[in-house]
Amino acid sequence: MSYLGEFEQLILFSVLHLGDDAYGVAIRESIEERTGRTVSSGAIYTTLGRLEERGLVTARIGEPTPGPGRPRKYYRLEPAGARVLMEAYETMQAMAGGLIPRLTELAQR
Amino acid sequence: MMFLRVLARLLIRGGSASYIRDDLEELFQRDLARGTSRGRALWRCWTNLLGSAAITWRARPRAARDGGFSALDFKLGFRMLVKYPGLTLVGGLAIAFALCIGAGTFELLTQVFQPRLPLPDGDRIVGLRLWHLPSTGVEEQALFDFALWRDELDSVEDLGAFRLVQRNLIAADGAGEPVNAAEISATAFRVAGVPPLLGRPLVDEDERPGAPPVVVIGHDVWRSRLSGDPGVIGRTVRLGNAQAMVVGVMPGGFAFPIAQSLWTPLRVDASTVGRRQGPQIHVFGRLAPGVSLDAAEAELTALGRAVSAEFPDTHEHLRPQILPYAHSVLSMSVGISHDELDLAGLAALLRTTLNLPLVLFLVLVCGNVALLMFARAATRESEIIVRSALGASRRRIILQLFAEALVLGAFAAVIGLAAAGSVVRWGLWTVETQALDGGRLPFWFRGSLSSGTVLYACLLTVLGAAIAGIAPALKVTRGVGVSLRQATAGGGGFRFGGLWTAVIVSQIAVTVPFPLFVWAMRVEAAAIRAVDVGFPESEYLSVRLRMDRETARPISSDTSAAAFAANFTVQLQELERRLEAEPAVTGVTFADRLPRMYHDWKLIEVDEGGAAPLDPRWHAYRISSATVGADYFDVLGVPILAGRGFHSGDLADDDRPVIVNQSFVERVLGGRNPLGRRLRYVPYARDERRTEEDEPWYRIVGVVRDLGMAYGTNDPKVAGFYHPAAGGGSLEGIAPRMVLHVGGDAVSFAPRLRGIAAAVDPALRLDRIMPLDRIVDAELQFYRFWTWLLLLGTAIALLLSLAGIYAVMSFTVAQRTREIGIRVALGADRRRVFAEIFRRPLAQVGFGILAGGGLLAVMLFGGGVTLSLVNVAVLVAYVAIMAAVCMLASVVPTRRALAVEPGTALRSDG
Repeated sequence: MSYLGEFEQLILFSVLHLGDDAYGVAIRESIEERTGRTVSSGAIYTTLGRLEERGLVTARIGEPTPGPGRPRKYYRLEPAGARVLMEAYETMQAMAGGLIPRLTELAQR
Repeated sequence: MMFLRVLARLLIRGGSASYIRDDLEELFQRDLARGTSRGRALWRCWTNLLGSAAITWRARPRAARDGGFSALDFKLGFRMLVKYPGLTLVGGLAIAFALCIGAGTFELLTQVFQPRLPLPDGDRIVGLRLWHLPSTGVEEQALFDFALWRDELDSVEDLGAFRLVQRNLIAADGAGEPVNAAEISATAFRVAGVPPLLGRPLVDEDERPGAPPVVVIGHDVWRSRLSGDPGVIGRTVRLGNAQAMVVGVMPGGFAFPIAQSLWTPLRVDASTVGRRQGPQIHVFGRLAPGVSLDAAEAELTALGRAVSAEFPDTHEHLRPQILPYAHSVLSMSVGISHDELDLAGLAALLRTTLNLPLVLFLVLVCGNVALLMFARAATRESEIIVRSALGASRRRIILQLFAEALVLGAFAAVIGLAAAGSVVRWGLWTVETQALDGGRLPFWFRGSLSSGTVLYACLLTVLGAAIAGIAPALKVTRGVGVSLRQATAGGGGFRFGGLWTAVIVSQIAVTVPFPLFVWAMRVEAAAIRAVDVGFPESEYLSVRLRMDRETARPISSDTSAAAFAANFTVQLQELERRLEAEPAVTGVTFADRLPRMYHDWKLIEVDEGGAAPLDPRWHAYRISSATVGADYFDVLGVPILAGRGFHSGDLADDDRPVIVNQSFVERVLGGRNPLGRRLRYVPYARDERRTEEDEPWYRIVGVVRDLGMAYGTNDPKVAGFYHPAAGGGSLEGIAPRMVLHVGGDAVSFAPRLRGIAAAVDPALRLDRIMPLDRIVDAELQFYRFWTWLLLLGTAIALLLSLAGIYAVMSFTVAQRTREIGIRVALGADRRRVFAEIFRRPLAQVGFGILAGGGLLAVMLFGGGVTLSLVNVAVLVAYVAIMAAVCMLASVVPTRRALAVEPGTALRSDG
C-alpha cells in the first residue's frame, strides 16, 4: 500500500530535513516552523509508529542525554519511504499541474 | 509543571508514552529558554498533553481499549442517577458541598500565593526594589536607583515607577469623592499592554515638568462620576485643589498598578534628588524578549554591587531585587525578604498545608457516599453475579461501578463548581469589606475560577469517585467467584463490615460539634443586633474623613506631618461650623470609633482605690477605648449618668479626664464610685514593665451608659472609656468619623454634605457615608453567611448519616428476612427480635456521639473555652434530634421486616 496521508507526508519530509537529528521534539518544531501548524507529540509518535510498521522509517535509540530523560529515539527515512513519499509528491504535482493560476484567482476572490 | 507531569503519566498511554512525556518536558524548557512566558509555555504544554492523550488513547489496540471504560458504563451511570434519586440527591449534594469548599479554597489560595496578572504576557512584568539588609525592609526612597536602572539595565524594558495617592475627584455638581489614584510613569501603559477605551494613555511628554496637567481615568470613575460622557476627552476635572484635563479612559477592569482608577503623570526629576532621598516610589518593568527572570536578576545584582562599591555610605547595605510583579506588590505590604525566604517554596508549602484538610474532608464525605454506593451495589448482587458468570472480569465490573460513581461525581462537580465561584466572590468581598475596610484588592484578584481550579476540581472528582465507586466495588466483587463456585448466586453473600461502621461512627462524631459553631455565630450576630445604644441611630449620618496631603490647600509654608495635621483640624472645624449652620443639621461631632463598630481593645490598670477581681488569664483589665469630640454625648443625646461630660478645656487639663461606661464601673471597679478614680494603659506583654511607669494616669470624670463598644455579656471588652478630642486634629493617624444629627432620612443629606465638604477644601475626602444603624451591616452579613454555610454542612452531614444508616439497615433487614420470618413463625418475641436488629445502629449512633463529644471536649479544652448551660442545652437537644433521626431511619426497615408474613419470608431468597 503506497498511500500516504498529508500528515504522514509532513512527517517524512521533516525526517528527511533533519537527517540524523530526527527525533520527536525536532520533528515537531520543524513542522511548526515550516508550516505554522502546531501538532501534538502524541500525533507525531503515533504516525511514526505506523510508518515504522510499514517499513518506511526505522528507529534507533540514541546516546543518553544529560538530564533525567531517557535516551532519545531517532528516526531515519528508508528507501521504501523515500519512494512512497516521492510518489505522493508527484501525484500531488500531477493533480495540481496548470491549476495554480486558477487556484490563486479563486482564492483571492 | 509537577501537576502536568503526573497528569501526563496518567493520561498518555501506549509504547511511546515515555518518549512523549520526555518531549513535553523538553519542549517546555525550550519555550522558556526562548523567552516565552511561563504561562504561555505551560499552556502549550497543556494543549500538547491533551492532544497527545486523545491520540494515543484512540490509537490503542481494540482489546486494550475494551479493558477500560465503555460508553455503556456511563450510560448505565446516568440510568442509575435516575433510578436511585435518593442516592443521587444525598450523595451528589454531599460531594458538591465538599468540592465547592475544596475548589473555592484552592482558587483563593492560588490567587494569593500564585497570582497571575490578567494582562498580556503578565508573567513577564516584574517589580524592582531595594532591600535594606539591616532593617530587612524595602527602601522606598529609590529615585536615584530607579534612574540608574532605567539607564543601565538591558534585561528589563519600559522601566517605570509609581506612587499611590488618593485624589478627591470633584464632579460638576461640586461634590467630591475619593478615588484611588497613582502618579505613574507613562511606560506603565506600555508594560500593561492594555489600550485605552477612549483617548490616549499617558505619554512620556506628560511627565515633562511644565507640561499641561493631564489625567487618565478608569472606566468606573468615568461611568459613575462623569456620567459615562462620550465627549469626556479634553474636559477639565478638579482633583482636590488641582485641575487636570482628561486625555484618556481605560477599559473596565484595568486597575494597574494595584487597584487604581485614576492616573496622573509621575513628575519627578531624579537629577535633583540625592541617593536615598526624594519621594517613596515603586518600580516596575517588563523583561526584555528572550530574557529570563534569573538573567535579569544576575544583571541587576551585578549593577547593585557596582553601586555599593561606588557609594558605600548609602548603598553598602542595599541589595536590588527583581521579583514577579504581583509578588513585589504583596511582599511590599507584608515585608517578606526575598533573600531569606524561598517565596515559591513557602507558597507551595502553605497551599499544600491549607488544601490538605479539605481534601481529607472530601475523602470523608466520599467515604459516606461509598457506603450508599455499596448498599446500592449490594441490591444488584444478582446482576453482578450473572455478569460475572457470563464472562465479565472483576476489573470490568469494578470499572462499571467506578464509571457510575464518576457520573455522580460529574453531576456534583457542576453544582460544586458553580457554588465555588460564589464562595470565591464572597471571600474576596469579605476581605475587601472586613480586612481592607472598604478598600480594594489588587486587580489580579478576580471572582471567577481559573482553569487550574477547574482541573483541580476534576481531579478531586476523580478521587472522590474512586473512593465512592472503587472501594464498594472491590468489596462487592470479592466474594463473586466463591458464590459462583458454590452456586449460591443471590444468596446474600455481601456483608457490611467494620469499615462501614467506622464510616458511620466518624460521620456522626464529626457532626456533633457543628451546632455549637452555628449557635456561636447566631449568638454573636444577635448580640450585635441587640445592642441598645439608647438613641435613634437612623437619624444620624456617619462619614469617614480624610484629606489629600498632596493637594491640600496649605495654610503655611511648613510641609511637616504636624503642620498637615493642624491644617486637617482647621478644615474639619470649618466643615463642622458650616454644617452646624445648615437648617437640617441639629448637631455635628467626631469620633474615631462609633457605637457598635469594632473597637480595639487595650489593657489597663486602675489606682489603688479597689477594683473587681482580675481574670487570672490576664495581667490587666481588657477594655475598649475610643476618642470622641467634646460634644459627642450631647449630639447623640446620651445622658451623663454621673459626674460631668467633656468640655473644651479638657484637652489642656493635666488630669487627662476620661469618661467611663457603666460596664466599666461594674466589671473593672466592682461597682465602686468611679468619679475621681485614675487608670492607665499597661503593655500587652506581661513581663514588659519598662514603659509602664512612663504611661500617664487618666482621671475619671463621668459615667455614660454602654454604647456598643463590644457585644454580648460574656465579652469583657463591653467595659470601656472615652478620651476627649477637640476635633479632627487630635485624631491624627486615623481616619476620623463625623456624625451628623439630621433627623428624618439621614441618607438624603449625603449629596449636600459632599458639596459643603468640597467647598471647604476640595482635598477633603468623604467615604463610607451611611446612617449609624447601617454601620454593622457588612459584619452581620459575614455572620449570616457563615451561619448558613455551617447549617448547610450540618444538614448534609446529618442527611448522609441518616441515608447511611437507612441503607445499611434496609440491606441488613432484607438479607435477614428469611431468618426473621422463621423466628417470628416459631413464636419469638417480636420485641426481642426488634431489639436485636436495633442494637447495631444504636451502638453506631452511641459511639458516634461519644466520639464527637470527645472531639468537642478536645477542641474546647484547646481553645480554653467553657460551655454555658445554654450551650450544653443546645448540644443535648441537637444530639437528641440526631439520635432520634437516626433511630427513625432504622425503625422503618425493621418494622417492614417484622410485618413480613412467615410464608413470604420462607419463599424469599434470603
